[in-house]
Amino acid sequence: MRGKAHDGETAAVHEVEVEVSSWAISFRLGDEVQLWRLSEIEVEPLGDQVRLRRRGQGARLTVAAEDWRAAAAGDAAPVARRHRRRERRLVIGLFIAAAAILLFVFVGVPLASGPLARMTPPLLEESLGETYAAQLQFAFPPCAGEEGQDILHAFGDRLEDGMDTPFNILVEAVEAPMVNAFALPGGRVLITGDLIAEAETPDELAAVIAHEAAHVEQRHVMQAVWRSLGLGMILDAVVGGGTGAGQQVVLLAGSVTELRYSREAEAEADARGQEILQALGYSSEGMAPFFRRLAGDEQRGERRAGVMEFLSTHPDSLGRAAASEGRARPGAPAFSPEDWRMIKAACDGAPRRSSSD
Amino acid sequence: MPESMVAPEAAGTPLRLEQRAKLSSYLGLSLKNGLLNLLTLTLYRFWGKTEVRRRIWASTYLNEEAFEYSGRGMELFIGFLIATGLTLVFLLLVFGIQLLGPLAVLLILPLYVGLIVLIGFAIYAAFRYLASRTAWRGVRFHMAGSAVSYGLKYFGLMILAGVTLGWAWPFVERKLAEPLWANLRFGDRRFRFSPVAARKEKVYGPFALMWFGGVVSYAAVATFFMGLAMQPDFDPAGDPAVLAAIYAAALLFGLLFLLISLPYRAAMMRSVARGIQFDGVKVRLKIGALAVGWLYLGNILLIVFSLGFLMPLVQARSARFILNRLVLEGEVDFGAIHQSAESGPRQGEGLADAFGLSII
Ligand SMILES: [Zn+2]
Repeated sequence: MRGKAHDGETAAVHEVEVEVSSWAISFRLGDEVQLWRLSEIEVEPLGDQVRLRRRGQGARLTVAAEDWRAAAAGDAAPVARRHRRRERRLVIGLFIAAAAILLFVFVGVPLASGPLARMTPPLLEESLGETYAAQLQFAFPPCAGEEGQDILHAFGDRLEDGMDTPFNILVEAVEAPMVNAFALPGGRVLITGDLIAEAETPDELAAVIAHEAAHVEQRHVMQAVWRSLGLGMILDAVVGGGTGAGQQVVLLAGSVTELRYSREAEAEADARGQEILQALGYSSEGMAPFFRRLAGDEQRGERRAGVMEFLSTHPDSLGRAAASEGRARPGAPAFSPEDWRMIKAACDGAPRRSSSD
Repeated sequence: MPESMVAPEAAGTPLRLEQRAKLSSYLGLSLKNGLLNLLTLTLYRFWGKTEVRRRIWASTYLNEEAFEYSGRGMELFIGFLIATGLTLVFLLLVFGIQLLGPLAVLLILPLYVGLIVLIGFAIYAAFRYLASRTAWRGVRFHMAGSAVSYGLKYFGLMILAGVTLGWAWPFVERKLAEPLWANLRFGDRRFRFSPVAARKEKVYGPFALMWFGGVVSYAAVATFFMGLAMQPDFDPAGDPAVLAAIYAAALLFGLLFLLISLPYRAAMMRSVARGIQFDGVKVRLKIGALAVGWLYLGNILLIVFSLGFLMPLVQARSARFILNRLVLEGEVDFGAIHQSAESGPRQGEGLADAFGLSII
């Protein structure tokens, strides 16, 4: 058969006559005779032609596709089969790798996040919390009412007596256009002005603060930090430059696991928060009515990694209200009428923010 | 055995480039790559991408001879693993610095500066890899020059673009194109980039249109948002109608900006092409804003409605669009071009992949 060849040395074209035997092809290229075994030839289809090369060498030979099929009659099929088998092995290997990664991130890391959080030195968690607080300060500036803030501080200190935690519970009222409360790593608890306005009794506000304090005590926040770190690594590393579909799969799986874990954490913080209040002789009856009221018009804030929200993204307020009602015990109000007025006034001074960011 | 003979090709041969990709044949490949990507958490993408490139190269003909892409998926995968290791180190650094307390922000900033240099580095590395895996008539392309100095240059030029409020951008784009082409070699012959020739294509008129149009439409959208936010019951999270309005406005801005940037995009592509020279051959790219607009519109629709699945098809039609509008003026003596000893980098452009930067 006739073909066009390149010697791999220059870009010149050589017209060659190719001789075909049962195990090899041969042709003359310049001064040299080329002898290529069929088994070492790699074939690239080019429309009605094929381009042949010998593995690892620069020379190329292009011949008509039908000539090549006739020449390599017996040997073309095994080459194609070998190629298909190699590709199948590759896909299976990659599939197993992907499954292992998913298992690690969505089972391994969450399972490890509890022990990891408990092993995180409190000092480390505190400095992480300070960094978050410094960043959050711009979005959520503290409310201006000093007396109200002092009363909240003092309440946080009192809660520590009923808790088993190395952290200093630091309660602060902040300006934010949503009804919500957050626990940061290291013991800081942020209550939005809108939530304070929404609370009708001291019991209700105390229940929210105790719930957030329980998150800190149980180190839920640190667990979420570890989990989001694991998810972030996978997002950045594995599907970094991939098609949109792959990223969506990981994000979806991530939010589903996060939802499951945050649901458990919320239930735990509800129960533990009430226990703390009861241990200190306070009423733990405020949670249920507050949840009931908010269930109607549940407003959701932006979710941030490393921040536990009082109103989490799942619409389970009524269920949580019923559960907390069963555990509720009467007790002393957390704030005197005078204190309560101060707290209510804490966020009135600063200008209301009109945009959310 | 009959003698081989060098085909009668004049010492000066005119050049004709032709992209003959059959787009329908990319549908099946798109489907296969997409499904395998889903199945493997996108780990298959390196092999999928390699096959797309191989097909596009193999359907690009210069003087009736197809180009050859010899890259391997495994090379890209190994490059990606290296890039992943670097990314993890970077993430751990950022995380570790956060533990140092509030002042940590000051330490994170230089890290992000380094990231910009790294982007330039990655672009160059990707280009170098592509060149080294491209051959024609058995002669390889390759690239000289240093990716590190390109990264530093990239950083400096980005700063320049920033401090001039974007007005240096056309200058920056040409300056960034220059080393990529001036360092390209085909065998033992070098490409050149002539800034003088590139500047013959006027780009500042279309750029001014893009700049002012961009500012005006940005201002319009910003005013719309402000008006929205001033309303007393503004609550983006709670109200789906408000959320939809925000997305619609952002989309409108994106499309508007794309539209007014078309004349500049086309002019800059013509300009860069005009600067490229090879052995006395000059390059012209015959495209206008309208044609580029149709190309982009088609690409956007294909990607959006296939949820990204048809990316290989989009790449093939883009390559066909550009390459079939390239005109090569001049003649080359192919018999005098020799293979170079340079064989190129061993791994693929992992960094570029990690940043989503590789051109194809
Ligand atoms: Zn909670």
